[in-house]
Amino acid sequence: MNRKLNLWPARLDLLQSLSGLALVVFVWCHMFFESSILLGKDAMLWVTKMFEGEHFFGEPYPLLVSAIAGIIFLLVALHAILALRKFPSSYRQYHRFHLHMNGLHHSDTTLWYLQVITGFLLFFLASTHLYTVLVQPDNIGPYASSDRIWSGRFWIMYALLLLSAHLHAGAGAYRLAMKWGPASLTGSKAARHKLKTAMWCIIGFFLILGAASLATYMKLGYDHRDHIGERYMPSSHQVQQE
Amino acid sequence: MNNIPLAEEHRMLQIQILRHNPSALLCDSDKGSHLQTFEVEEALGMTLFIALNEIREEQDPSLQFDFVCRAGICGSCGMIINGRPGLACRTLTKDLPDVIVLAPLPGFELIGDLSVNTGKWMRGMSEHLETWVHNQELEEINIDVIEERMEPRLAEQIYELERCIECGCCIAACGTTQMREEFVGAAGLNQIARFRLDPRDKRSDADYYELIGNDAGVFGCMTLLGCEDMCPKNLPLATQIAFLRRRMAMTTG
Amino acid sequence: MQIIYTDVLVIGGGLAGQRAAIGAKRRGHDTIVLSLVPAKRSHSAAAQGGMQASLANCLGGAGDNEDIHFQDTVRGSDWGADQEVVRMFTHAAPKAIRELAAWGVPWSRVERGDHEITVDGEKQTISENEAAHGLITGRNFGGTQKWRACYVSDGTGHAMLYTMSNRAIAEGIPVHERMEAVALIHDEGRCSGAIVRNLMTGEILAYVAKATCIATGGFGRIYRASTNAIINEGMGAAIALETGRATLSNMEAVQFHPTGIFPSGILVTEGCRGDGGLLLDANGHRFMPDYEPKKKELASRDVVSRRMEQHIAAGQGVKSRFGEHLWLDIRLLGREHIDRNLREVKEICQYFLGIDPAKELIPVRPAQHYSMGGVRTNPNGESQGLRGLFAVGEAACWDIHGFNRLGGNSVAETVVAGMIVGESIADFCDSADGSINVSTALVEKFARKQTQQLANFTLASGTENAFDLTRQMQETMTSKVGIFRHGDQLQEAVNTLQNLLLRSRNINLRSATRGPNPELVAAYRLPRMLKLAQCVALGALQRTESRGAHYRDDYPQRNDLEWMQRTLAVWSEAKDELPTLSYEPLSIMRMELPPGWRGYGAKDYIEHPESALRRQEIDRIIATMPDADRHAHQAALMPFLDKLPPHLRPLNQRLSKF
Ligand SMILES: Cc1cc2nc3c(=O)[nH]c(=O)nc-3n(C[C@H](O)[C@H](O)[C@H](O)COP(=O)(O)OP(=O)(O)OC[C@H]3O[C@@H](n4cnc5c(N)ncnc54)[C@H](O)[C@@H]3O)c2cc1C
Ligand code: HEM
Ligand code: HEM
Ligand code: SF4
Ligand code: F3S
Ligand code: FES
Repeated sequence: MNRKLNLWPARLDLLQSLSGLALVVFVWCHMFFESSILLGKDAMLWVTKMFEGEHFFGEPYPLLVSAIAGIIFLLVALHAILALRKFPSSYRQYHRFHLHMNGLHHSDTTLWYLQVITGFLLFFLASTHLYTVLVQPDNIGPYASSDRIWSGRFWIMYALLLLSAHLHAGAGAYRLAMKWGPASLTGSKAARHKLKTAMWCIIGFFLILGAASLATYMKLGYDHRDHIGERYMPSSHQVQQE
Repeated sequence: MNNIPLAEEHRMLQIQILRHNPSALLCDSDKGSHLQTFEVEEALGMTLFIALNEIREEQDPSLQFDFVCRAGICGSCGMIINGRPGLACRTLTKDLPDVIVLAPLPGFELIGDLSVNTGKWMRGMSEHLETWVHNQELEEINIDVIEERMEPRLAEQIYELERCIECGCCIAACGTTQMREEFVGAAGLNQIARFRLDPRDKRSDADYYELIGNDAGVFGCMTLLGCEDMCPKNLPLATQIAFLRRRMAMTTG
Repeated sequence: MQIIYTDVLVIGGGLAGQRAAIGAKRRGHDTIVLSLVPAKRSHSAAAQGGMQASLANCLGGAGDNEDIHFQDTVRGSDWGADQEVVRMFTHAAPKAIRELAAWGVPWSRVERGDHEITVDGEKQTISENEAAHGLITGRNFGGTQKWRACYVSDGTGHAMLYTMSNRAIAEGIPVHERMEAVALIHDEGRCSGAIVRNLMTGEILAYVAKATCIATGGFGRIYRASTNAIINEGMGAAIALETGRATLSNMEAVQFHPTGIFPSGILVTEGCRGDGGLLLDANGHRFMPDYEPKKKELASRDVVSRRMEQHIAAGQGVKSRFGEHLWLDIRLLGREHIDRNLREVKEICQYFLGIDPAKELIPVRPAQHYSMGGVRTNPNGESQGLRGLFAVGEAACWDIHGFNRLGGNSVAETVVAGMIVGESIADFCDSADGSINVSTALVEKFARKQTQQLANFTLASGTENAFDLTRQMQETMTSKVGIFRHGDQLQEAVNTLQNLLLRSRNINLRSATRGPNPELVAAYRLPRMLKLAQCVALGALQRTESRGAHYRDDYPQRNDLEWMQRTLAVWSEAKDELPTLSYEPLSIMRMELPPGWRGYGAKDYIEHPESALRRQEIDRIIATMPDADRHAHQAALMPFLDKLPPHLRPLNQRLSKF
């Protein structure tokens, strides 16, 4: 049959989920790279260098980092615009949802609301963070980051970002599974229960990982507070210089 | 027989009911919507059906609510029971605390007190989604000859989705329908899933896309899952909605 | 006042009403359906067991056909049924089910290969034929020789009603929900619509129609204990009665079910006893062996019901706040058995009683279940007293059930009769008789009367409480016109009802709201229900025999000699306090199956001499046609096909061709 279906609703829905998925994957990977500081300053530096392409090209191109940040920024923007369609769009809607949620005491409904709030926060926090990375791609590294976090007092923002990003990402991943199938395929309550437990475990894991890294950065930043701006030299270099 | 109860010692229940009579606004002196408390002595095996009737017969004859089958099969008596939607006729008071708050299902036209017009909503949904078998040849079916065969398993699967009693609990349990009136809700999507499964219905996915391929349809669902958790018939709503979402996202026209 | 004009007005949105509406609409007549509740909430949805139709697909149904279904139905009715109509019914039932299958009902299907079944507590293995795989299957039901009850898992009525309602929506038939017909508009023996009350606003409006059809279901709620929905108050039959023209018939024929959950009346299946469950009294004593040493709990439905009531009357019932009851004990069956074979019972116990039947006792008491009587109609569904009025479904006495309905024959009747009556309504509208000439003055006269009546309730300086009187009526019916009937008690019931009817004219309302006022509704329905109750009680008092579900312990025999008669009731004048009863003889000499022993139950009945005569005549006729097939035999004994609409006349195809 030859007729015009409006396929945009399907595309937009798919795009919303795909952008969300991409972001989740990114954020989770990012956590491992970023927590390399736990393995020591050298490890962190190595990762930084990797992103700047030094391991491949022999010298660093911080612009690469800017490029990644730019792409991620666009992704966030796309996702945010699509997801914004789902926000309560008037006071009436907001009010009705609130009434509904407060009476219902239903965890998945509350979880969605949490996503709305954290999404809203991420809108600012993630943008700020990405902006920082975008304009100062070369300002990443064991000391540079630590200085920013401690002396630049970015830790407050990071703590918030950490919390909202992971609640949002964890809940988002669970929602994706329920929304598109894998978990809802079996239709069994047990599968859903397992998935939800997994979600909380993952969120917990990343929050602990992130908190530990943040604490490490803060400690480093505190110790390094008198030498702001000084860059970290890999320990191998240091040995050679001595 | 040790388990035959002889003497009965019972709680005094406080039943708080959200009263509101929209049609009375025109004539009678109306107090707007307010919570009214009734006291009822609990009895063995008391359901909200029994309690509400007792209130109506003995305390307030003007109290409005809907019961038809009082056996959990007709879907008339959906209401908000301590915050959650459920069928009042099969809710035992012994499973509830001393204070029971009852309110009409939100998202439907209020007729009065606990009575809402779910029927009108459901009929509208049926008309909109065309919830009947579409088959060009239906006009000429020959009912004198042996019927078309169907796999026993498939018949069962269709029945599993057909069990919806249009009670409206999933609509009241869904934050999306609470915010957006045009959303067809889990009940509507489940119906589409039912007919899609039925080989007697000759509609294609593109046909279904025209009905639910938008934000008032399957793409409007935000996977809040209240529907699935509060459906008194335990229909596999999340599975069905996910299934339709995949199908509709893959439809090309 | 708003007047709505239509060709056909169907009062009732259950299976019967909607099927009739579809028939009329398809013939090009504007049709409107009225219903107290959304159509899909009608009580047809409650039927779980099945729908009888002789498809003969499954192994247990092999060899089944219209003839056997006919015999089962007539025997079941204790020869009270109209045999021509039973023939029409059994002939069209397979067509009805096939139509529903095409429309979307997911009938359970035959699965090829081995299945394990339980017969008399013993496991057996049966093997379904390859050839039947995927065709509509059937299950075993009481009083039938074949497995004939087609079903949809445990929700037959639900699935049928939803498909039917969806079909009606597809046909564009409007259902005016929450509308109650409160009177029929009629003049000189011609019905021309109804006065209707909007239950949401209290507004009175009129529907003027060429043909009006009553499909309002049963009237179980005149009893306290009933398996029926609470909307089954019989208003359709009552407003027909109030015309003073239309007749109701066999109102005393009321069916009871032994195990309604107490006090709600929700049904628990006979399977509980079939599998070995016991009935206990207040002392935990198993009493059935005292009364029925042989069959004990497994005596037939009506016998068990009677014994239970007898035992309660003897003071052995369990007392509770809601009255007396007995216990059903299935603990001895064990949890595993209950979880697997009695899942539904388990769920009902869980949701409605909050008990675990594997550990606790289930309170039960027999409850009213089905009303065989109703608006008396011709085989085409038209009322015998009022032209332009039709009736269909449980509200009608089309008369395939006589004095006892077989399980599964009721939903079958709704759709089969719906198919037939829909056509005859259309024929009527097309005929010269169909046109109406109704003056608005007439319509307004009827409307004014209703408005006046309602206003009287709110003004009345009365002293009576509508809910109290209703309860007294229900109590009277359950205790005195129940399972076990006796002349003295029936007389008392008639007196009490008479008194209640007088008192009901003196009702005082506590709430004067004119809109949606539940107390007002109870007030205006009560006198009508009392009139129906009176038809039941008086009919039972006068029928001095026991037939089918009507059991008189002072006249325990079926008496064909005096009672091959159908009771007809009219309420001639509004001021009357009792209905006027008359009797319509059932002609044995025209029967295809003359009265005899049912094959179960009591064997002693008083035979009518014509029964033997007719049997001889039948043998003689059959003997003259040695080469004829069963259809020709049947046609020679009692032709009926001409009474069916032409498209329902062809023979039904089956796997095996006989
Ligand atoms: C618990 C239970 C189980 C049963 N199981 C079976 C079974 O397994 N097999 C079987 O064959 N039968 C069974 N029956 C019987 C069967 O379900 C009914 O007899 C049949 O469904 C009646 O259908 P109906 O269309 O005549 O009426 P209903 O379905 O009762 O419909 C009546 C309609 O009339 C409307 N109405 C009533 N009064 C008015 C008024 N004044 N104005 C406007 N509208 C009005 C109502 O709103 C409703 O829509 C069972 C019955 C019960 C109670
Ligand atoms: C920056 C601003 C962001 C906003 C405003 C935002 C908002 C939202 C909202 C409201 C939803 C719910 C959508 C729905 O129910 O259909 C959502 C879903 C989701 N978000 Fe975000 N989000 C943002 C950033 C992110 C980020 C950074 C990630 C990755 C970590 C992410 C991952 C997800 C995922 C996976 C979903 C589920 C997708 C879906 O349901 O289709 N979001 N977001
Ligand atoms: C290309 C894009 C990104 C790069 C290169 C990047 C890089 C970094 C770096 C180097 C840090 C360490 C602190 C610092 O140097 O300031 C950090 C921290 C952090 N980033 Fe990113 N980031 C990117 C995108 C994102 C996004 C999209 C999110 C989430 C929405 C995110 C969330 C976080 C969080 C939560 C922290 C703090 C971690 C902690 O508490 O340990 N980042 N990021
Ligand atoms: S899907 Fe469940 S909750 Fe929703 S209307 Fe149907 S039965 Fe009720
Ligand atoms: S609650 Fe609502 S949002 Fe979707 S999953 Fe159920 S319909
Ligand atoms: S009254 Fe029918 S479901 Fe509750």
